Amino acid sequence: MSDVNEIKVDPQAFEQDYLKPIHHVGTIFSIGIFLALFLPSIFLYIFHGVFPDWQTIAGGFALAMTYAVPFYISEPIAYYPILGNAGWYLTGTVGNGSNLRVPCAAVAEEVAGVTEGTREGELVATIGVATSALISIPAILIGALLINFIQQFFPPWLLDAFNKFLLPAVFGAVWGEFILRGWKYLPVAVLLAYIPMALHVPSAWNIVICVLGSMVAGWAMLRYFKIKA
Amino acid sequence: MDWKQIANEPWVWISGGVTAAMGLYMAWFFLRTALRFMHGQGFTPKQTSAMIRGAAITAIGPVLANIFVMIALAIAISPAFAWQREGVGVGSVFTELAQASNAAIAAGEKFGDPSFTIKGFAAVVFIMNIAGWGWSVEAIFTRYLGTIREKVTGGDQALLAVIAGAGMVAIFSYYSISNAVKGSPYLITVLVAVFLSMFLFKLADWIKAPHLKEWALGIAMFIAMFVGKLIAG
Repeated sequence: MSDVNEIKVDPQAFEQDYLKPIHHVGTIFSIGIFLALFLPSIFLYIFHGVFPDWQTIAGGFALAMTYAVPFYISEPIAYYPILGNAGWYLTGTVGNGSNLRVPCAAVAEEVAGVTEGTREGELVATIGVATSALISIPAILIGALLINFIQQFFPPWLLDAFNKFLLPAVFGAVWGEFILRGWKYLPVAVLLAYIPMALHVPSAWNIVICVLGSMVAGWAMLRYFKIKA
Repeated sequence: MDWKQIANEPWVWISGGVTAAMGLYMAWFFLRTALRFMHGQGFTPKQTSAMIRGAAITAIGPVLANIFVMIALAIAISPAFAWQREGVGVGSVFTELAQASNAAIAAGEKFGDPSFTIKGFAAVVFIMNIAGWGWSVEAIFTRYLGTIREKVTGGDQALLAVIAGAGMVAIFSYYSISNAVKGSPYLITVLVAVFLSMFLFKLADWIKAPHLKEWALGIAMFIAMFVGKLIAG
């Protein structure tokens, strides 16, 4: 499919015919999903008259945010350039960025042979991310409905393999793909990932240091040594 | 009434269904819009089908893993609540259960303890759901991420590619290394996955078999996972 490289989408048409409807639907449904996060608590109050007091909410929220806030910073910085607008709407609302959406976007881009961060790359990433969501959501519903059957069907060793080793395998495989495309950044990225880890920097801040540091290094390589991606 | 029974009531299934339906519509709309636009710009249906196929094959492993994660959550809480949480993207059962424990602590209870009550469950439901509010809010403001990116890079296509490339190498370096340092089976899993994935993508170029790229990540992740399990015993 080498001829995909020769396709350059029209910037004006991209804005008008693609981005405009994506933003329109994406914004409305992101608000809808944000509000839907409160549905279980509202229903619990309606059907059973139970709602946590504000002190409990504040305490639990503070504990939750100590874990989540660094990811709120690092994930859009790292993922948005490769996922693009539609990909980020989906990743922000239906989740599973690192383990599912990014790998699917990356493989679609690799198959197409387009460069991430470009208009063509954004279109291809949209296909990858949307396809992954159209598969994962129904599959998870089926899984939830047939949970007892699934437990019988899969032996414990297989469940253990998936629970313990699939995630490192996914991360390693995607890492390999990105190393092929951006090997120039690998030494800096490895150092910035490992050194804070060895110094016991909290993992979420470790990601922020690694991602931002590697981007700055990439910028410096481009600016001072004319090393392109 | 036992909180576990309440956690599997129809309203919990419906809450998950509402989120999932919106996510599905968005995905379908984005896919349709992208395909129509791309075909209008010169991409062929054969090319876009290959992209869809590659993403679908890659999704198999992570989706199965999500279902297995859900089993753990379903046992700890309920199938309905596991579905409601999975609909908004549970990545790690450890994180979910840590959030549940934090919420229970805030309510003055202990999650999983026989004394755990519906009051504690109400705190768990609220906190676990709002723990992910930030991503939804960031999604609402997606259109401004593009503006910020344009301002930071000045629209420079070369710099945009550098930021995307360096960012991706960095984040997956972190995720891979943080898993590899857990012990030998994890290290070997990561190494097998890295080298196999690189080999398969290169092989596809060497033997001029672009279809192999659609399978590369899926093959690499499954083989590496089984190698890790075999070594761990």
